[in-house]
Amino acid sequence: MKIIFPDSTTETIEGEPVSVGWILHLRGINPSEVIVSRNGKLVPEDVVAGGDDEIRIIRIAHGG
Amino acid sequence: MGSCNPVTGGAGRCTICGAPPVIRMREPDRHLCAAHLIEDVEGRALRTISERELVKPHDRIAVAFSGGKDSTALLVILSRLLPSWDGVSLVAITVDEGIAGYRDDTIRAAEGVTKKLGIEHVCVSFADLIGENLDTLLAGRETQACSVCGILRRKALSVAAHQAGATKIATGHNLDDEAQSVLMNTLRGDLPRLVRTSDADSLDCFIPRIKPLADIAEKEIAAYLFVQDLFPFLPECPYTRYALRREVRSMLSSLEQKHPGTMRNLIRSKRAIEKQVDRREISESLRRCRQCGDPCSGELCQVCMLRKSLGK
Ligand SMILES: [Zn+2]
Ligand SMILES: [Zn+2]
Repeated sequence: MKIIFPDSTTETIEGEPVSVGWILHLRGINPSEVIVSRNGKLVPEDVVAGGDDEIRIIRIAHGG
Repeated sequence: MGSCNPVTGGAGRCTICGAPPVIRMREPDRHLCAAHLIEDVEGRALRTISERELVKPHDRIAVAFSGGKDSTALLVILSRLLPSWDGVSLVAITVDEGIAGYRDDTIRAAEGVTKKLGIEHVCVSFADLIGENLDTLLAGRETQACSVCGILRRKALSVAAHQAGATKIATGHNLDDEAQSVLMNTLRGDLPRLVRTSDADSLDCFIPRIKPLADIAEKEIAAYLFVQDLFPFLPECPYTRYALRREVRSMLSSLEQKHPGTMRNLIRSKRAIEKQVDRREISESLRRCRQCGDPCSGELCQVCMLRKSLGK
């Protein structure tokens, strides 16, 4: 699975599927400050990702 | 907490229709698909507007529209509700503070949205208002950015709203913003501002301010826009790094994560205090600024005080 972070850096991880919430938790990202898409579609944090999935973490900028 | 378990997914399905969900919401705990998220967000905005009677027939609503996510959602929602209101019209107002490397992109995004929605759009700049842009004004005093900018933006907005013939000014403040403000005013010991309601807020411009998104969380707004391909991928204002709000925001969102309902409870506390307090006792009576004649609470209005302190 490929993870794209808010600063556009990427990371590829192998292994068992994990929940999106766990991915955020391991990296110390607060779920209320981001939205996450899996293969371009918005998903809740309790959705599981793995295999060829592309996970994109989008920071919600304050203001506006 | 479910989200801290490595594998437990079981997100399941939209609680209403069984389609794949895009968001999990709390209070009550539910999953929603894109269509039901849109319905939910628009329904709650409409409820806020109806319950607090924020819009009256024949209102002309000036929407404070920066092109960022909150004001984009506000404009989209109001433009969809518009046909159901008798004789109501909208005008979007964008304030150009003059922040290099930030505002140009957001203004371009803002113009794209109003064009798409077919809404009248007005731009005003700090340069028009005070003869200088924010970057020049703030050189060497960046830590005051948000309060200086806030005072000037407020003024620019009310001047433009007057010129546009508006009867209401709508802003995109969301649930998170409201909770942050309660905590910030408490941390500063600013009781008058803590209990200042939107009615009292309108003293400085005589045009009532309304906040139709005050019951919607920041994340719900972001998701609402993303599923409609309307999410603005824009940078954060470069001055936020100096702001107390930034610290309060991050603290409150961790608390909310661990203890869902924290933000709502804060707002509820504020409302309870508001009811107990006699507002006339703590807010100074309304006077006129001796420099410019605008309504204010002291000798000088905030803008003239700011001009003076900046030597302008
Ligand atoms: Zn649904
Ligand atoms: Zn004045």
